[in-house]
Amino acid sequence: MGIVDIGIKTLAAYYLLLIFPLAIMLWFKVPIIGRTLIAVVRMTLQLLFVGFYLQVVFQLNNPWLNILWLVVMVTVADFSIARGCDLKPGKFVFPLFAALAAGTAIPLLAFMGPLLHRPNLMDAQYVIPIGGMILGNCLRADIIGIKNFYDAIEKNEKVFLHTLSQGARLHEAIRPYLRDAYHSALLPTVATMGTIGLVALPGMMTGVILGGAEPMTAIKYQIAIMIAIFSGTAITVMLAVLMTIKSSFTPFGTLNPHAFRGHS
Amino acid sequence: MQVTPGEKVVLDGRSGIGKSTILRCLMGFVAPESGSIRINGQTLTPHSIWTLRTLMAYVPQEVDLGSGPLRQWIKAPFAFKINSNNRKNLNRLPELFDRFLLSTTLLDSDVNKLSGGEKQRVAIISAILLNRKIFLLDEPTSAMDRFAAKAVLGFLRSLPDSTILAISHDRAVLDIADRIVNL
Repeated sequence: MGIVDIGIKTLAAYYLLLIFPLAIMLWFKVPIIGRTLIAVVRMTLQLLFVGFYLQVVFQLNNPWLNILWLVVMVTVADFSIARGCDLKPGKFVFPLFAALAAGTAIPLLAFMGPLLHRPNLMDAQYVIPIGGMILGNCLRADIIGIKNFYDAIEKNEKVFLHTLSQGARLHEAIRPYLRDAYHSALLPTVATMGTIGLVALPGMMTGVILGGAEPMTAIKYQIAIMIAIFSGTAITVMLAVLMTIKSSFTPFGTLNPHAFRGHS
Repeated sequence: MQVTPGEKVVLDGRSGIGKSTILRCLMGFVAPESGSIRINGQTLTPHSIWTLRTLMAYVPQEVDLGSGPLRQWIKAPFAFKINSNNRKNLNRLPELFDRFLLSTTLLDSDVNKLSGGEKQRVAIISAILLNRKIFLLDEPTSAMDRFAAKAVLGFLRSLPDSTILAISHDRAVLDIADRIVNL
């Protein structure tokens, strides 16, 4: 039982469904019509490009090419985190890359090796979609974790400085902020795990079922991917915050304004 | 500028001249543009600041203690490795609260709920419990009534080995000064 392909003409006709949201936006003068149209065009072009590229990657199934594709994805996510957290990329590209790479690679390799027993650990059919799912969640969690961490210290600067004045070393002073940021970053994944299957069928499971697999196989994949995502986000957030500290604090333990965008 | 151990010095000068910045520089919160700072014979550097801070107490004009029960706030700094030897000083808490005209029932209150004057006194009590010898006080009595101010200043004055560098226009603070430095 294989998946039914979609014709180009029928897919093009499916765009007509967008008439409804656009008409509602126009009627109520919701000011995101332009942004919506640009987003739709961008989505189409980006996915078409990735589709063509992945077709080649899947056909060649060269481990080095697959690794290169994962590195490109991690790099794009890396800059996206720096931008999303108002960090100056120059100082944070390498630590964020390392945190993302670790958070993605550890659960991905455990997925490909001990779980699936794939002879080729870099098999494109598995490593790219699963790696992408883990990385996407790591990206979101890193942005929440890093942003919450630095925003909280900036907002509570007087309390933070008072803690330093009471003799705290930097690792002692940041501890409550790190704990809260970690909590915020992991909470969405924990909440998703708690309601999965009851509120919605997750994308991975839907994909596997559409691909023709038995529902129980899809469930097993979904359980494994949830564990991979949770482990990956838990690893990457802690590493990302800890690895950015060196550049974002002065040697005296205060926040370094030069590390953040919008500060001279 | 030099302050000798045990001396009580008040900094004076027009608003915006940098009096508070001097105290912040001493704590390593602001880097001086030129010159150097020596405390207890040690030059203030990124390496030495962490031990030098354990000699000093800094009480800013507007004290922000964060949130949570006061008792927990007072105990929190003793969890820092460098303060662990001073934990026994917590026994002095009732005595100090009494000397500073604070009720010990406040210990169960949220620090957010304390008045400005209570926060200033609590911050100074915390510094005494942590065995600090150098008090950097920025308008320390600005939110206190005159009885509380008198009690606090009288206590600090009575500590023979405590050095005070204060910013204040309050007559009561100026009265305990050995020296007033005009900037």
